[in-house]
Amino acid sequence: MKKNGFYLLTGCTALVLLGILWYSVEVHRPLYIEIAFIIAIAVIYLLRRMVEDLIEDERSIKITEQAAVRTFQVFWVVFAAFSIGAVMELFYVPQVFIARIPPTPPPESTMLVILPPRLMGYIQLALLCLMIFLYVGFRIYYARKYGEWETDEE
Amino acid sequence: MRNKIKVYRAMHDLTQEDLAKAIGVTRQTILAIEKGKYIPSLDLAFRIARYFRVNVEEIFLYDEEPRPPLAG
Repeated sequence: MKKNGFYLLTGCTALVLLGILWYSVEVHRPLYIEIAFIIAIAVIYLLRRMVEDLIEDERSIKITEQAAVRTFQVFWVVFAAFSIGAVMELFYVPQVFIARIPPTPPPESTMLVILPPRLMGYIQLALLCLMIFLYVGFRIYYARKYGEWETDEE
Repeated sequence: MRNKIKVYRAMHDLTQEDLAKAIGVTRQTILAIEKGKYIPSLDLAFRIARYFRVNVEEIFLYDEEPRPPLAG
């Protein structure tokens, strides 16, 4: 398979994924897009192995590795910070569970909704975007560092 | 690390593309090595040297940085 064919099929896969995401939202079944995403990534990896005119040498592998490592180094700190915040909520005992003497109904303000699913969704979206931007940014940085766009007299 | 790949290419009348194809890397990698932007692995350095039928030290020159004297 040629490189262009691979890019075309990858684009088609992304479009199919977008359609499944839409359907998944409509019927409110996150499992559909989750399974579809895993299958799509597996398909893309398989297709990539079938590309014949894609030369991947040690320099391009090093650029990919360095970008991935740096992305991980930054991302895990941010991810851990968010996660620690969420885990903290597990240990928090709302006032409603503390015995009151004499027994009185808890005030409305203590009926907290901790990390509602919609907020978690926004946080996950922000993390996902952060990961993509970090990877692309680091990839550009290392590609420049290792002479990806250097020009010569030839 | 300096190298004489450009000189050896000129001696053998090779383009970067020719050399890249011969040793199985991209032209950008040869260019990056020539400009000192990328230091090749030992494996690639040997492949380049073998291709020109010379020793690695004849193509790749290691500039040793002056080290501070040992204390004591």
